[in-house]
Amino acid sequence: MRIVCPFCGERELGEFTYLGDAKPARPAADAGEDAVFDYVYLRDNVAGAMSEHWYHSGGCRAWLKVTRNTLTHEISAVEPAAGAGAAKVGA
Amino acid sequence: MAEFSWEVRSPLERALVAGPFGTRGDAGVSLTEIRNFDLIQVMARRSKAAHMAEAAKGRFGVPAPDTPRAVDAADATLIWSGPDQFLVLSKSGKHAIEALGQAFAASASLSDQSHARVLISVSGTKARTMLAKLSSIDLHPDAFSIGAAAATSIDHTSVTLWRGTDGPDGQAVFNLLVLATFAESLWHTMLDAAAEYGVAIAHSEA
Ligand SMILES: [Zn+2]
Repeated sequence: MRIVCPFCGERELGEFTYLGDAKPARPAADAGEDAVFDYVYLRDNVAGAMSEHWYHSGGCRAWLKVTRNTLTHEISAVEPAAGAGAAKVGA
Repeated sequence: MAEFSWEVRSPLERALVAGPFGTRGDAGVSLTEIRNFDLIQVMARRSKAAHMAEAAKGRFGVPAPDTPRAVDAADATLIWSGPDQFLVLSKSGKHAIEALGQAFAASASLSDQSHARVLISVSGTKARTMLAKLSSIDLHPDAFSIGAAAATSIDHTSVTLWRGTDGPDGQAVFNLLVLATFAESLWHTMLDAAAEYGVAIAHSEA
């Protein structure tokens, strides 16, 4: 598997570290215990296109948001995660 | 209380034995450690990337790279090391961290890496063939021209790799910055990869 880093170009899997689901968003401070429990612990077991966080640890050290099909490993999109390459994503 | 005396020496001091190595005859690969350099990491603060770029232009007279490139200024090389960040490689203290502090005070954070990296220059007729065993980056001249750079990994070790000006023999020169504590390991890996082509090993103090 290869990932096209938006900063470095196409690189082999060995240069990347997998974090996991990129979907969960931190709930507001007053969202309540259920929302926090969901955010911290509950994950979908996606069969198909999934949005994931990957870290280009062996390269530019940017966090990336990768859309990967968990059944085929096909990658349909890669973008910088919020805050990575601030100038490019305007964060 | 114990007295310490600090001696500055290269992380490759034990591993590097100057002279020929591997197959005898004309060396196909030259491995040269460049010692005594200043290396400063410049990293833009949040939303200050444009400001940092201006400061770099003012200081070095050339735009800092915002894609994987190494840019030569009059007395320094600016090497892309990731989004909104680059390395300043220079000699003789002219762009040491004290000297750069003022220029980037309002836009970037600086970190002195002068003693945290080892700089190795790889050249010779078989340099690219040797590196092809170790790196998945396409180093063919059509894909990796002079000034091209990459933040990548060799033998599971992070390196900053860029192509410098061709040598006097017209051959490509690849420069490689590696973390000091990984340098010896990488050095042995490169020696193993280069041995069949014959290696000329050297180091420069300047
Ligand atoms: Zn990258």
